[in-house]
Amino acid sequence: MKLTKKSTQAAPTKAPTTGWTMDRRTFLRSSGIAAGSVAAAGLLPGMMKRADAGAPGQGKGEINTVRTICTHCSVGCGIYAEVQNGVWVGQEPAFDHPFNLGGHCAKGAAVREHGHGERRLKHPMKLVGGKWKQISWDEAINEVGDKMLQIREQSGPDSVYWLGSAKFSNEQAYLFRKFASMWGTNNVDHQARICHSTTVAGVANTWGYGAMTNSYNDIHKSKAILIIGGNPTEAHPVSLQHVFRATERNHAPLIVIDPRFTRTAAHANLFVRIRPGTDVPVIYGMLWHIFKNGWEDKEFIRQRVWGMDEVRKEVAKWTPDEVERVSGVPEHLLYQAAKLMADNRPGTFIWCMGGTQHTIGNNNTRAYCIFQLALGNMGVAGGGTNIFRGHDNVQGATDFGVLSDELPGYFGLAEGAWKHWAKVWGVDYEWLAGRFDPGSYEEKDGKPLKPMNTNGIPVSRWIDGVLEDKANIKQKDNTRAMVFWGHAPNSQVRGVEMKKAMEKLDLLVVVDPSLPDHTIMLKFAKKFGYGDELTKNIKVNGGEPLIEDITREFNRGMWTIGYTGHSPERLKKHQQNWHTFDVTTLKAEGGPANGDYYGLPWPCWGTPEFNHPGSPNLYDTSIPVAQGGMGFRERFGVERNGQNLLAEGSYPVGSEIKDGYPEFTADIVKKLGWWDDLTEDEKKAAEGKNWKTDLSGGIQRVVIKHGCAPYGNAKARCVAWNFPDPVPIHREPLYTSRHELVEKYPTYEDRKAFFRLPTRYKSIQATDYSKQFPLIWTSGRLVEYEGGGDETRSNPWLAELQQDMFIEINPKDANDAGVRDGHMVWVESPEGGKIKVKAMLTQRVAPGVVFTPYHFGGHFQGKDLRARYPEGCDPVVLGEACNTAMTYGYDSVTAMQETKCSLCKIYPA
Amino acid sequence: MARMKFLCDTERCIECNGCVTACKNEHEVPWGINRRRVVTINDGEKGERSLSVACMHCSDAPCMAVCPVDCFFQTADGVVLHDKDICIGCGYCFYACPFGAPQFPTGGVFGSRGKMDKCTFCAGGPGEANSAEQVRKYGRNRLAEGKLPICAEMCATKALLAGDGDVVADIFRQRMAYRGAAGLGTGWGVAYDKGLRKASGLDGKAAGKED
Amino acid sequence: MTDHPSRPAIPSEPRQHGVPPRVRARITRYLLALLAFVLIAPLVPYAAAYLGAGNVPNPGAGLWNEVRQRAGPADANTQARGVESAVLINQVGERWRQFRSEMLVPVGAWLLLGTLGFLALFWILRGRIPLEGGRSGQLVPRFSVNQRVVHWFAAILFVFLAVTGLVLLYGRFVLIPILGPEGFSATAAACKEGHNLFGPIFPFAVLAMIVLFLRGNGFNQIDLKWFFRAGGLLKGHPASSGYYNGGQKSWFWMVVLFGIAISISGLILDFGVFGQGREVMALAHVVHGGVAVVFIAASLGHIYIGTVGMEGAFESMSHGYVDANWAREHHDLWLAEMEAAGMVGVEPNALEEVKRHDNIDFKGFGSPGTKAVQG
Repeated sequence: MKLTKKSTQAAPTKAPTTGWTMDRRTFLRSSGIAAGSVAAAGLLPGMMKRADAGAPGQGKGEINTVRTICTHCSVGCGIYAEVQNGVWVGQEPAFDHPFNLGGHCAKGAAVREHGHGERRLKHPMKLVGGKWKQISWDEAINEVGDKMLQIREQSGPDSVYWLGSAKFSNEQAYLFRKFASMWGTNNVDHQARICHSTTVAGVANTWGYGAMTNSYNDIHKSKAILIIGGNPTEAHPVSLQHVFRATERNHAPLIVIDPRFTRTAAHANLFVRIRPGTDVPVIYGMLWHIFKNGWEDKEFIRQRVWGMDEVRKEVAKWTPDEVERVSGVPEHLLYQAAKLMADNRPGTFIWCMGGTQHTIGNNNTRAYCIFQLALGNMGVAGGGTNIFRGHDNVQGATDFGVLSDELPGYFGLAEGAWKHWAKVWGVDYEWLAGRFDPGSYEEKDGKPLKPMNTNGIPVSRWIDGVLEDKANIKQKDNTRAMVFWGHAPNSQVRGVEMKKAMEKLDLLVVVDPSLPDHTIMLKFAKKFGYGDELTKNIKVNGGEPLIEDITREFNRGMWTIGYTGHSPERLKKHQQNWHTFDVTTLKAEGGPANGDYYGLPWPCWGTPEFNHPGSPNLYDTSIPVAQGGMGFRERFGVERNGQNLLAEGSYPVGSEIKDGYPEFTADIVKKLGWWDDLTEDEKKAAEGKNWKTDLSGGIQRVVIKHGCAPYGNAKARCVAWNFPDPVPIHREPLYTSRHELVEKYPTYEDRKAFFRLPTRYKSIQATDYSKQFPLIWTSGRLVEYEGGGDETRSNPWLAELQQDMFIEINPKDANDAGVRDGHMVWVESPEGGKIKVKAMLTQRVAPGVVFTPYHFGGHFQGKDLRARYPEGCDPVVLGEACNTAMTYGYDSVTAMQETKCSLCKIYPA
Repeated sequence: MARMKFLCDTERCIECNGCVTACKNEHEVPWGINRRRVVTINDGEKGERSLSVACMHCSDAPCMAVCPVDCFFQTADGVVLHDKDICIGCGYCFYACPFGAPQFPTGGVFGSRGKMDKCTFCAGGPGEANSAEQVRKYGRNRLAEGKLPICAEMCATKALLAGDGDVVADIFRQRMAYRGAAGLGTGWGVAYDKGLRKASGLDGKAAGKED
Repeated sequence: MTDHPSRPAIPSEPRQHGVPPRVRARITRYLLALLAFVLIAPLVPYAAAYLGAGNVPNPGAGLWNEVRQRAGPADANTQARGVESAVLINQVGERWRQFRSEMLVPVGAWLLLGTLGFLALFWILRGRIPLEGGRSGQLVPRFSVNQRVVHWFAAILFVFLAVTGLVLLYGRFVLIPILGPEGFSATAAACKEGHNLFGPIFPFAVLAMIVLFLRGNGFNQIDLKWFFRAGGLLKGHPASSGYYNGGQKSWFWMVVLFGIAISISGLILDFGVFGQGREVMALAHVVHGGVAVVFIAASLGHIYIGTVGMEGAFESMSHGYVDANWAREHHDLWLAEMEAAGMVGVEPNALEEVKRHDNIDFKGFGSPGTKAVQG
């Protein structure tokens, strides 16, 4: 029976017909579903302009559509922003963007708010007697600058800490590192330290580069997908578009390994629940079956992998029973996972912070790499290690060296590296060295080291730089001034101590840019007297350094990772021609960028004129180097213990050297008889240099012409002999729930000087806290928020969806602790920090494990601090920061903080 | 004639809430009004699935049937719209709607609810398309501009489909064909009940605690 | 005090309707036909809609069916905050809609129009029930000022709420063709606001009615006889009755029960700030609407008999006094009591009489005996 009379339908007086109906083709295009047609479709004519009256701004004026990129995760979704009179009034889906095809998660779909959000700080503010006072930019730069110069005078340049950000663009990140270097310190860092530093270290030390090897879109070709320690449905939602493509069209099984039944796990074919911090046993548990059944790719290992035999020895210890004892995973699940990965090749291996943020984070990441090497999944489309980064530009900021242990391009901090960059910057090396503290506080092989050449304090440890006894710090004085430049303090652990550190500081500066970051950098540089040096090769327009010139400058120096082919013109061409890139291969088919891979994924060898298309998948030997192919990088020598470290019988298609070869130097080029392929100018620049330091790019051009990769063609290594654990092994977390395992799987010895600071391991693990603090505590991300959350929690559209900081507790644990769903609960950790949060009873976590998101802030140990924000700048939603109570623990290679495995107890508040 | 429909593919919906904020962003929907929401069933357990829900623009809409002032109408495209100048905020549509689509700005005493607000399929309301008044009351009228609802257009995983019911059904059918009977496909049922167990050769082994 | 236990009825000319029986029968038939048409007419569109229903299948139907079978509110979750936003399928909504559209609206219309028709018919057939004995001129005090004030307060409020409620229930069918959508919307909005604002006062009126009218409203055997004799409505079959007859007592208890039901359900609907979900609201609405329609229908009978239907009845609520002959014809036992108490033929001195009246003992609540019977 009809519920309504016919006559009430479509009453002609008030029912406007749109006068438009949609055919299938239009629909497919608009919904971004049809694969081929989307890329070819381009902009719908109606998309460029909206009727003036339709804009919510209601103002008159042309509405311009601007292409931009979402800033909230590493997917980098394209956006069409509609801008009217300088106000971002609307947002249209970018169906033609190859990454997202118009799709967005909650953050991306609400990103417009960040453009015009009312809660943003609009002027510099100074805290005077507990009250925020508005000051001018000049006052701000002068006051802060004078104080810093005074500290520099008294304590040296290392007492000022420049904490940068993955929110910087490549150009800003590069300029920031340059800026800090000219200030004279390596005390500069950014989010990568607490995000994927262990990935970069582990991966780069396995096969040469620390980056994600393939791409989101390349997952289309995967036959199997394994996600460990990652929850992309919340952290990288749009990536699931590509994952589903593989699961649906290739019938690729999706395996999720995680302590928590995440939203990602809900879509998995196989979910393996592990005890937090047991990644190595679980990976070895799978490798045990792989080796036992002979599923490994023997030919791949023979040709391209070194040290697998030592791994076998370690794996042999991880029998199914031992794996189950340590990780809690029964044999049949790991057998299934291993078999699925073995039967469905190529398979991709995805990980995130669940694997990296551990005291043995570097072991975890190397174990993941070894797994892929064993199956021969590397260097192949559809395979690889797809390491999902957190921020939109955490890779870029890492590449450009906003790190305490690197210069741009991973050149390290040795004298040669400084000389290289001094040359690129056009400054005198001696002048640059003179900017640093001349003292010496560390030594190597009996020789004193200068602070210019030693790792600075990492962001994870900055509070120790303030609080630690001066005598124990390997620099002149404590950290006295701290600059948070696009970084949330609540993303670092040990909040209670951080509060003490902040109170002890002479100066705390927070930069939330209402001017472009690079403009502010120049303001400071001028104040400190090196404005001219900073912008020597860079045009300055009204105080703003020209972005394109910054790009051109780093193009001249970033030879190591092939960030040299990215001219501003090429990048802009890509941005303007999204629709010409294939959504699976990311290669432009025709159009102005014909043949290029989208965004010129590095290495994009040579100079821009060389026109290298970028490398779609790292270490892929099935395409010539000139088209993005390559073997593994020769980075660790040509021989180890008498064994060949170079590739054997494996080389990129079209290589004139049909075997492994070392990295190229001018000498080797000469030996090969290719020297005369260089031009006279190139010869002049390349003489005595190598592929990394030849500023002409001649060496790269010539060896690629001969089909070779400039960095050599070597084996990936399973044994990183320069690391504390050459073969990745399992070590129990500092705050372990299984103290009886410590004897067999102990952590490291305490260290006196690690990134300039004493670092504790064993002395913490010695005490058994698991009786008093019976719950394993892990943390992670929510889809609505990002990072510390100050930005996203100020966005009402997002804030409305997550109004309370909460803790996920298994009903069993909640009942044991007398905690009810939706009630407030105290979470207390062994170091004494405690937070008051809302209890959420859920089966997402297993009994014995609790989970908290880390995006909240503004409450401190039960106290609401809303009144302390500058007026009108308080985020919509405040809450307790989980890191207020998160505990000590740092990775043995990179000082990554441990946030994924600590202990706590809960009790009703 | 096109008959506009939404369809949410639960095999793909990941509860990212992109549709929710896309809607809020596009129409400047105030705090507390959920024109669209994502609901997760069996949260945290095997069989967990999420669904994005809004007005389904029923062919034979219960809200239209119960409205005491007859403020609803259906466009030629089958979109169920209402006239806020006629609506008296009685809440009957909210009682009647199977999907909880009608929303009210206030929930005060003396039955004061304010004018009902709901998903318009991005088709505005009565009056001139995209006139200032229409935008203020109902949000933007994308259909009049030749576009589809923003929630579906911006869906992160293309789980939410919108458009002519026949086309939506075709796309969904095509997807089902891709997923197919062969291979593993996605989903717990396949993975745990038969496929994987058999594939692993551990068919007879007792279920572990993680099952 | 008077010492006349019972006065002879004062003779008067019985009133006659000036319509011959045959004509009256024709009018009756005509009215019946009209009534039938009026009752059936509202159902026509439903039937038409039913016959013309063509359903376009929803491609998501299968999916939703699955959800419908699986999901209860308990194991669903959502980040959207609102009333029952985690409920995927509102199970109660369809039942509520069916009740309202297929029961309340048509059956209510039947009931109300049927009642009106019945009363019209009754009026045509029976006419106004006259004072058989004419007016005696002697007054008997019946309702105090307090009672009358409360009655009229409740009555006016009731009529207001009934009318505004009926506008919301039937206005779409009846008033939109007359006022147009905008005009009716304004009317309906005013009715809704009025109904919601004044509705919460009604419980107080009901309470006052209970307090002031409870006494004497207990049922007893006399009422049984009264019902057997059809309340004396048929000519030549007088029925004995005390202060209240069975019909009046029934009405009183209807007011109490319906009044409480309609008040509670109304308050639930009117104050949606206590987190009550749709199930509670829908149930409250079913009670409210269902009871209201029956209540209004019953009130029509009450209004009819208290005004045009019976000579001499209205003044009991308007002046508070009734003619002794009226009392004899309709409340003979009460009259006897009053005579015994010397309350017949009093001067209409309101203040004084009210006091005395209030002091009369009706043998308490629910007592079957009366002084007159004993004496």
